[in-house]
Amino acid sequence: MIKVETVKTYLDRCSKCGGCQAVCPLYGETMAEPLVARGKLFLIKNHIEGKLELSPKMKELMSLCLLCKACMENCPNKIPVDQLVLWARQKIAQEKGISFVKKNIFQHLLKNNGRLTIAARLGYFYQHSGLQWLVRKSRLLELFGDLAKKESLLPEMAKVPFRNQVPRLLPVSRPQKRVAYFTGCLTNFVFPDIGYAVINVLRNNGVEVVIPEQWCCGIPALASGDEETAVDLARKNVKVFQRENVDAIITDCASCGSTLKEYAELLETPEARSFAEKVLDFSQLLADVVGFQPGEEELSGLVVTYHDPCHLRRGMGISEAPRSLIKAVPGVTFKEMKESDRCCGAAGSFNLTYYELAVSIGRRKAKNVQDTGANVLLTACPSCIMQLRHVLQLEGSDVQVLHLAQLLDKTYSNAEKKS
Amino acid sequence: MLQSSVIEEIKRIVGKEHVYTSLEERICYGYDSTPEAFFPDLVVRPATTEEIQKIVKLANHHLFPIIPRGAGTGLSGGSVPVKGGVVLDLTRMNKILEIDEENLVAVVEPGVITYELQQEVEKRGLFYPPDPASLKTSTIGGNVAECAGGPRAFKYGVTRDYVLGLEVVTPTGELLKVGGKTVKSVTGYDLIRLYTGSEGTLGIITKIILRLLPKPEAKKTLMAVYPSLDDAAHTVTMIIKKGIIPATLELMDDLTIRCVENYLHMGLPLDAEAILIMEVDGPAELVEKQAVQVAELCRENGAREVKIAADEKDRDEIWRARRAVSAAVVQIKPTKISEDIAVPRSQIPKMVRRLKEIAARYDLNLVIFGHAGDGNLHPNILCDQNDAEEMERVRKAIAELFKAAVELGGTLTGEHGIGTMKAPYLKYETGDVGYQVMKAIKKALDPNNILNPGKIFLE
Ligand SMILES: Cc1cc2nc3c(=O)[nH]c(=O)nc-3n(C[C@H](O)[C@H](O)[C@H](O)COP(=O)(O)OP(=O)(O)OC[C@H]3O[C@@H](n4cnc5c(N)ncnc54)[C@H](O)[C@@H]3O)c2cc1C
Ligand code: SF4
Ligand code: SF4
Repeated sequence: MIKVETVKTYLDRCSKCGGCQAVCPLYGETMAEPLVARGKLFLIKNHIEGKLELSPKMKELMSLCLLCKACMENCPNKIPVDQLVLWARQKIAQEKGISFVKKNIFQHLLKNNGRLTIAARLGYFYQHSGLQWLVRKSRLLELFGDLAKKESLLPEMAKVPFRNQVPRLLPVSRPQKRVAYFTGCLTNFVFPDIGYAVINVLRNNGVEVVIPEQWCCGIPALASGDEETAVDLARKNVKVFQRENVDAIITDCASCGSTLKEYAELLETPEARSFAEKVLDFSQLLADVVGFQPGEEELSGLVVTYHDPCHLRRGMGISEAPRSLIKAVPGVTFKEMKESDRCCGAAGSFNLTYYELAVSIGRRKAKNVQDTGANVLLTACPSCIMQLRHVLQLEGSDVQVLHLAQLLDKTYSNAEKKS
Repeated sequence: MLQSSVIEEIKRIVGKEHVYTSLEERICYGYDSTPEAFFPDLVVRPATTEEIQKIVKLANHHLFPIIPRGAGTGLSGGSVPVKGGVVLDLTRMNKILEIDEENLVAVVEPGVITYELQQEVEKRGLFYPPDPASLKTSTIGGNVAECAGGPRAFKYGVTRDYVLGLEVVTPTGELLKVGGKTVKSVTGYDLIRLYTGSEGTLGIITKIILRLLPKPEAKKTLMAVYPSLDDAAHTVTMIIKKGIIPATLELMDDLTIRCVENYLHMGLPLDAEAILIMEVDGPAELVEKQAVQVAELCRENGAREVKIAADEKDRDEIWRARRAVSAAVVQIKPTKISEDIAVPRSQIPKMVRRLKEIAARYDLNLVIFGHAGDGNLHPNILCDQNDAEEMERVRKAIAELFKAAVELGGTLTGEHGIGTMKAPYLKYETGDVGYQVMKAIKKALDPNNILNPGKIFLE
């Protein structure tokens, strides 16, 4: 995490021009100065100068940030606002502690794959045993305010986690590349279909895939200021992946990808640096390294649009690769949407904590999607997919939301799972 | 400090979720785009004119200051609460109420963002010309209160040239309506002009009727590089003599050019003394012809290099240089003090030289860019807020640059307003009588000194 001296230099660079108001999704919905980058930087500055305590209000305001980097991209002085907000969150976590629930999740669940799997199975059990039906029916959740709505945001858990369904090695004959697949928690526990699509597309393009044992990338902990847990997870992942003799480490999740990239600074070891250098997004590998070849299956009637995940576009600097892949699929009409790179409002668990705000941000996205007339919305981040499905459903839209890999997979006759 | 009973009353008026009481939230409404920062006692975010009237009446009863605020992008300290009190944030009143295509008029609430209005009217083939560089964030209310201008001012004028009517809550809480949808009106004193540029000291603007124009069919952008600043200035005169009125005539001085080049590496010549960025607009055929004429005039008058943008991409590339100025210059030093004096156009070369002398005398980094068509220059001093000794030199240099502007027949501020930053120098330009007249107006309209105290006048 950055040092306080660095934070200060960045803060000094803010000219308070207010330019961030034009792009901050939170400001766009609320027009509230404490939520825009300029306000947050001013708060952090006043704290460092000893004029503001790390009060509960401060904690709340610092938690109100999507870490979407839109402000930084647009800032004349390129201030990495997300890093400064994370610095503040970490300081708050250190001095005031993090909530009991979060602490338990981070330190006991995330670090222990066995327990995480059990938790996910419990989730599946909850959703499929009739318990969920009972709870919803009984309106029990309504007693807890908007918990009912939040609960409906929670995705359906996979019956068996993806990594428990597939073998460790997925060989191809005469591979042109060999990669290690970092599946991410969402693909593993919620969206195995995405995982299957990724593997199948890669194998059809002559890429051998190995799926090592792995842990959460650490972003939920980092975003809550729990650097200790994040470092621990990073160490574990680096250690395991280092053993694999692969050309690249790929992800299907923009948030995981950009976090893995940050391991270099987080751990500051040569191993972490070489790990981080190998990390590529799935789309990047296909478009820039392998040279994607679509399959023979005819696709027709598909009008697609694409949402740029914040962590892919601004986090990893990838916006062309996914588009070039979409355009390489015969029979697909691509329509660019307005504000394709504006945050969808998911932002990790932001949409659980600030449901109403996240939904109003998401509705703007949904409207932009619908304006294109597309029937399929593609993106490259499972967390965005959850949010996008939810808001499109709220808008009564029947646009299908898929991961980019799932579209590409449709072109192969041997697609393992059709979605 | 406000009594808690007053705060409760205000909460009842606007709803408690629209009142910020916490230290953390209030501190975020104590600044604008200047280095100034103060502390309001309360932040209130009303949604209607009636709510505002009630709050202003309450203020007159309990005698607390009210500071109207738009987006807080002011460059003169206009919306900072120097005496505490209630910051009245108008951004929730952000509806475009009407776009009347027949009468070429738009009716808007004060919190509408300038760019959003422009987008909306342009969809209908119409045009709202005032274009402050902050247009993607500034509010129309703030534009009217500061009489904002922009690069297009030379041809199209400034905000005041587009205000046809206003609805204003007076400093005592009454509702005043002036003007309407007609371009002509001479009924009594011209209160619209009085309110346009009144910096939140004479009333809270709650509704604005704006004049629109048909959107020009085409525009063409040019860039010319000059080894000599005088030649650049002379070119401007020659273009106008030819009967061509460019929409935009932007000037960048040598240091600005160097900063931009160091920042962008786009191949700008480091030995040039000036660059002009020009835009002609109007009917397509005429624009083509005028662009060629302007290019010729530039060459005849000493330009070393002239570029006419062939397409949108070229155009963007030319504007990229101008747009990067703010970011580029702070690479020298972090704090940027932006002034905006204006002088008669013919005095530009003289003014630039005076500015450079002043900077040299006080050993300061100064870059100059601005609007060559209307003589509005933005000398920017780059310094470090944390260096007290340097800031003292900055203060002295600023006083001198204002004097120089007035001596050359110019003004302290072309578009940013007086606020707190220029209040000490007001009399340089107005003289004693002008000052007394303005004060008398303020006193007559705001007997309790409720609205935005501590601005324009030193108290
Ligand atoms: C990067 C940058 C570039 C800029 N470029 C330009 C430029 O090219 N040209 C230019 O003219 N200015 C420019 N400005 C200055 C500024 O943007 C303008 O003065 C703008 O009009 C301020 O609008 P605002 O909504 O931010 O108002 P604020 O800063 O919030 O307020 C400005 C003043 O208006 C008063 N006020 C606001 N709303 C109301 C209302 N409804 N009723 C009564 N009083 C009100 C306030 O009390 C204050 O005195 C620039 C600023 C920045 C940061
Ligand atoms: S755009 Fe950058 S410099 Fe301007 S106020 Fe926002 S963070 Fe500060
Ligand atoms: S990171 Fe996103 S949400 Fe956070 S301040 Fe910047 S623009 Fe706003």
